Amino acid sequence: MAEPVLQLNNLSVSFDTSSGEVEAVRDISLSLNKGEILAVVGESGCGKTVMSQSVLKLLPKTSRIKQGRIIVDGEDITDYTEKQMRRLRGSVLSMVFQDPMTTLNPTIPIGKQITESISKHTRVSREQARQRALEMLNLVGIENPEQMFALQPHFFSGGMRQRCVLAIALASNPKVLFADEATTALDVTVQAKIIDLLLDIRDKSGISIVFISHDFGTVARIADRVAVMYAGKIVEIGTAEEVYYDPRHPYVWGLMSALPSLTKEGEDLTSISGMPPVMLNPPLGDAFAVRNEFALAIDYEEMPPMFQISPTHSAATWLLDERAPKITSPISLQRRTEV
Amino acid sequence: MNRKATISKKLIKRILGFILTIFILSVGVFYIARLAPGDPLQSYYGDAVESMTTAELDAARVRLGLDGPIYLQYSKWISNVLQGDFGLSLKYKTPALEVVSPLIGNTLLLGGTAYILVFVLATLLALFCARNEDTLVDRIICKVGTAAYYIPPFWLGVVLVLIFSINLQWLPSSGAYDIGKSGDILNRIQHMILPLVVMILSHLWYYAYMIRNKLLDEIRKDYVLLAKSKGCNKDEIVFKHCFRNVAPTIVSIMAISIPHVLSGTYIAESVFNYPGIGALAVVSAKYHDYNLLMLVVLITGILVVSTSMIAQSINEVIDPRMKLKEVPTCRIIESSSS
Ligand SMILES: Nc1ncnc2c1ncn2[C@@H]1O[C@H](COP(=O)(O)OP(=O)(O)OP(=O)(O)O)[C@@H](O)[C@H]1O
Ligand SMILES: [Mg+2]
Repeated sequence: MAEPVLQLNNLSVSFDTSSGEVEAVRDISLSLNKGEILAVVGESGCGKTVMSQSVLKLLPKTSRIKQGRIIVDGEDITDYTEKQMRRLRGSVLSMVFQDPMTTLNPTIPIGKQITESISKHTRVSREQARQRALEMLNLVGIENPEQMFALQPHFFSGGMRQRCVLAIALASNPKVLFADEATTALDVTVQAKIIDLLLDIRDKSGISIVFISHDFGTVARIADRVAVMYAGKIVEIGTAEEVYYDPRHPYVWGLMSALPSLTKEGEDLTSISGMPPVMLNPPLGDAFAVRNEFALAIDYEEMPPMFQISPTHSAATWLLDERAPKITSPISLQRRTEV
Repeated sequence: MNRKATISKKLIKRILGFILTIFILSVGVFYIARLAPGDPLQSYYGDAVESMTTAELDAARVRLGLDGPIYLQYSKWISNVLQGDFGLSLKYKTPALEVVSPLIGNTLLLGGTAYILVFVLATLLALFCARNEDTLVDRIICKVGTAAYYIPPFWLGVVLVLIFSINLQWLPSSGAYDIGKSGDILNRIQHMILPLVVMILSHLWYYAYMIRNKLLDEIRKDYVLLAKSKGCNKDEIVFKHCFRNVAPTIVSIMAISIPHVLSGTYIAESVFNYPGIGALAVVSAKYHDYNLLMLVVLITGILVVSTSMIAQSINEVIDPRMKLKEVPTCRIIESSSS
């Protein structure tokens, strides 16, 4: 099999703040193949944004990569300088952000914001850049691109703005696109259209996408593989099928039973009680233990390692240890295997 | 149609407000000046006042319009003003308008030059600081700038005169030009350098800091992250992306700042004895030269009130939210066909 386009090996990212070290990302390992869509799911504050921005090195100066390597297309970029990173940004690694209302420069016409991204990485004439920008606008489904080219962002609706942001992000043919809650701020129908657009673009260009979301439901439509994060760590990762039909981590069970579409009629929608921890001085053991109804004594003392379930599926919970009591996942989740 | 009507309605409202403000201002200053202790006849007749009889003094008061209750004096004054007669200057014994008119140009030249220099320099300094945010040089500029801003302009003026006029004899210490050289641009510039230095130092950081902070606010915005993620460097982000969005704010700060810079001009004029309206204002108040004082107050008031009204209109035009409200039909809704 070909080499993955993105690889994170034991990546940890911390912030130095006045009240101490915030361990936002802890020991994350994952890899992303060409043309693959990996969804990263988790509650607010679990470190999804920090993880993706640390790859593009967009984090503020108070952050630092504590350990681990970032490998892009076979090249170790962990120690890249700002100047080296500038060459990668846009052309190899690209990003789409959460709020399309604020991510576009309000005073620069859309077209110019796209051509800027093109002429940054390829030597093109003004006319060529314009043609390419029009192509991009067309690709992301904006009608009358010639007309829209000269307009400023405030003429566009949220959905159209997010399409424009996508056009900017994709303009220089990047290999990896980070979509950080790219559909969260949009209403449901627009959300679905953007997701279809992303799938379409992936099929056409073979781009790899890291699709970040806090919503399991949205992710189901798009993901090839799913990584679930909790308190800066990946607690379960596998193909979409494995994570949806055979989840192993109690946190993932909790997330699933909070989904209206996955619970049976008449059954209560449950939510996970408690709050995710603040990542200042994280606990010694499993950070989820205090909210976990199946917690074992060891959960409070020692961090669970990643247990391999299948070549593609692994989860970090002591329940998978051979000495642990056999606990099956809640009934409602098993139902779907019967369907 | 409708928009035109609201605009002309707004305009009429503004003009009425303008007239009312100037009227209240003139009444206020008129009363304060007359109620302040001191005798205007002293400045008109000089020491001769001592030897005049009460009857003579009363006659002089009637002639100069200084008799009777203040509201009657005011109504007489204002009816004269409305006919274009601003009365006699008690000190110079010529029509007040003739005293003031040659000085307006001097003040506008000094004030205007200072105004442009302050904002050009403030913008450049702010861009430089924002570009080098949190580096040593930015921190040094912030400290020095704040210190410079708090130097009292009077004291600074005296120090500059001591160094550059008295010790080094490079620059003149007072006046707007040497006798017979009013048309000599070089000579005029020489006379303006020290007042300009004082005015720039006492205004520059105030505005540079304001613009710097606006730029830093802008640098924290989401669109900067997008610009960065497509490969822009810091210079492009500050100069191309952020400056563009701060420029309208700079224009509105400039519009609002006119009274501030004008008052700075008045101070500099009196420190350096620069023949302008500001220096004249001090002199006329000192000598109870009522007519002259009122004229200076009127000119200043009209200048300040009209510029701040223009500033307000500029801000309304610039504010993108206002613009957006005017063109709601152009907003494109997410097309349902795609
Ligand atoms: N600049 C910063 N300084 C200190 N701590 C930070 C900083 N940025 C993020 N953090 C911390 O890092 C942790 C992870 O934040 P992150 O933004 O990655 O969460 P997220 O999963 O993206 O959440 P959301 O769904 O709300 O976007 C949080 O606990 C947050 O407090
Ligand atoms: Mg986030």
